[in-house]
Amino acid sequence: MPPEPATRREIDVLARRAGLNLTDEHFEELVQAYGYVEQMLIRLRRARSYADEPAHVFVPTKFVPSEA
Amino acid sequence: MTVTELHFITVAEAARRIARRELSPVELTEAYLQRIGAFDDQLQSFVTLTADLARRQAKAAEAEIKRDGPRSPLHGIPYCLKDIVETAGIRTTGQSKLLADHIPAEDAVVAAKLRGARGILLGKTATWEFAHGGPSWDVLFPPAQNPWNTAHHPAGSSSGSGAAIAAGFAPATIGSDTGGSIRGPAAACGIAGLKPTYGLVSRRGVLPNCFSHDHVGPLAWTSEDVAILLSIVAGHDPRDPGSADVPARDYAAGIDAPVAGMVIGVPWRWFEEEAPCTPETRDGFNAALAMFRDLGATIRAVEPPPMQLFNDAKKIIAIAELYSIHEKDLKTRPELFGASLRYRIIAGSLVRAENYVQATRVRRDLAMAMQQVFTTIDLMMLPTGEPAGKLEPVPHSSLFTDPSYMTAFNVSGNPALSVCSGFAANGMPQSLQIVGRLFEDATVLRAGHAYEKATPWRNRRPALSRPPQAAVA
Repeated sequence: MPPEPATRREIDVLARRAGLNLTDEHFEELVQAYGYVEQMLIRLRRARSYADEPAHVFVPTKFVPSEA
Repeated sequence: MTVTELHFITVAEAARRIARRELSPVELTEAYLQRIGAFDDQLQSFVTLTADLARRQAKAAEAEIKRDGPRSPLHGIPYCLKDIVETAGIRTTGQSKLLADHIPAEDAVVAAKLRGARGILLGKTATWEFAHGGPSWDVLFPPAQNPWNTAHHPAGSSSGSGAAIAAGFAPATIGSDTGGSIRGPAAACGIAGLKPTYGLVSRRGVLPNCFSHDHVGPLAWTSEDVAILLSIVAGHDPRDPGSADVPARDYAAGIDAPVAGMVIGVPWRWFEEEAPCTPETRDGFNAALAMFRDLGATIRAVEPPPMQLFNDAKKIIAIAELYSIHEKDLKTRPELFGASLRYRIIAGSLVRAENYVQATRVRRDLAMAMQQVFTTIDLMMLPTGEPAGKLEPVPHSSLFTDPSYMTAFNVSGNPALSVCSGFAANGMPQSLQIVGRLFEDATVLRAGHAYEKATPWRNRRPALSRPPQAAVA
């Protein structure tokens, strides 16, 4: 069951924990935008195995200094 | 508007005439500078014009060509750069108040390559703020306008680049594409624009939007010109972590090869059920497919994963990375952002680590599924989008709500080209998106070129005119 949408109070706490000190105008922007973000996160949710790797994988050879 | 004026010349034709010493880089550069001076107040496609530099470069190019012949297909030919491509000694603002006085010390890799090819830099073109927020009226410069109808937008974020090519202000430009920002303006302005395979063109020195989805690529009047530009700017850059280590090649060689025998896949469900296009756009697309049938290609339906999933994965990854890029400025001087970009950055601030990883897991699944589809076809085709609408403020939330036929290929990394496929009843360009297998950018361009040669759309240009002077009493 998907969680309840975040309340304004919860968004305020999350924003403060993220280090944001928003004006009233910018807080309203965040509340509105986060509503859309939550919907996307719900659509992306699915069961995963332990071994389910992300697309962005560390390839150490990319960081070997070039000879040029 | 006749297409024989000098400012409407293609890169390919200009290169031929320059090589035969029939065209002077000085004459060509002056033609563009005069046209920009006469009409760009109507389009606002340029934000920085480098006229003095252009004239110096043109004069030097003319002397070099007279002495030794052209050194590259771009030698002596003007171009412009989206104002997120850093240019040494020339301001690069990202259209943001935050970078109003930013003068880079070094060229971006693409800028250095075009300079090395002895092209002529006309200037920097308008963009959405940091290639993400727009159209905006509260940023450093006003938004660009569409030369086909100045009341309409040229899409974004490579808005000035798209407008400049269509208007005959330059024959060549470089833009960027994170979710459609090359293809959208190409479609809106009736030109060719390529989002190359991810990693084919270095991103180093280009202001980042989203590391995982940023692609740098060319726009021009024709697919052949795009191929010429790609040949110059593509190539491995060991200092770009996303750069693909593949051999350099000439993307214009073999561009005239026929498309007969190619298998073209169409994801009908995306634009007939998930996010239906208008009947006019569907009719235009069907006409384009019919042309490819006439050219000997076979058409079949394909079933990639739902477009919504591509869009969701892309957006979560994008806003998280966008926030990481702009976190400091958001916390210390948020008032300097335009509202459109700030809204999108703020949304990224609450994306948690597990959300980001989950989105990249979905991305992996989607990329694998897309490449699986491409084992059964040579190309995929679909509309790029609807013709450009009116230039007016849009809800900031449109980033999250508006479907896109383009985003999937930023997620999968496949090369995707937009070409003009006709004109709507209101005179605005229609568009066709041609997508290929990874690193088969040449095949994509070959198909675009074949289509352009078989259709009349490259013979029509927007008509720019001066408004009549008010009578003096």
